[in-house]
Amino acid sequence: MPDVIEKPSNSAVWWGFVFALSAMLCNAVFFINAPAQRSIPWLSLLLAVVALIFVGRGLWRVFAPPRIYRGRILSAILSIFSLLLVAVAVFAFFSARALPVSAGAPQVGQKAPDFTLADTTGRPVSLDQLFAPAADSTSPKAVLLIFYRGYW
Amino acid sequence: MAISVDAPEISRDLSKKAGYNFTILSDPNAEVIRRYDLLHVGGGPDGHDIARPAEFLVDSSKVVRWVNFTEDIRVRAKADEMLAAAKGMP
Repeated sequence: MPDVIEKPSNSAVWWGFVFALSAMLCNAVFFINAPAQRSIPWLSLLLAVVALIFVGRGLWRVFAPPRIYRGRILSAILSIFSLLLVAVAVFAFFSARALPVSAGAPQVGQKAPDFTLADTTGRPVSLDQLFAPAADSTSPKAVLLIFYRGYW
Repeated sequence: MAISVDAPEISRDLSKKAGYNFTILSDPNAEVIRRYDLLHVGGGPDGHDIARPAEFLVDSSKVVRWVNFTEDIRVRAKADEMLAAAKGMP
């Protein structure tokens, strides 16, 4: 039996950090137009939960008896960073989904309400005008209305 | 065609920067956004009221043929979904 037993390093806190970072990096995927966009918010939340489990396990290993793992200070610092990343990822998840129900919005088969609004040159444009014939005298069959948040 | 609460100048800069050639309309008082029940109260920076993201494909008799209301502002309708909806029209 050796006199000095090398304490094992606490890999759980590192895994916690990797998962927390991944949960955050999921948000970058929305800018590259990747497939399966709808599942990415859930993936981000799942990664955040897995990160929490590893952080908890890592902290337990170094602070709870019999304290056979080394790196208490590093584990604590890493855990704080991980928890911050998890908090941001979870906040992003809930704030991005805090949207009004819009039950009164026009549905398929209903009429789109009329409107007249200024275009980028200040000229008023109505919904009817959007269906006006183009220069080659063909009328558009449909118009796509995109409402966006603005402040870009 | 796109609508937001941004002023025409802001939309013009965006359009120029991104190279858009479609019409962008300004609804600074969110009147039309309200009419479409898309107002996101306090959803913008500094608690400004803005539009929640939504897309409508409207035919020439102004009947809605396809809609998309995202559940997450990070997830938007994809161009191929919108093109497929447009191609599916009579």
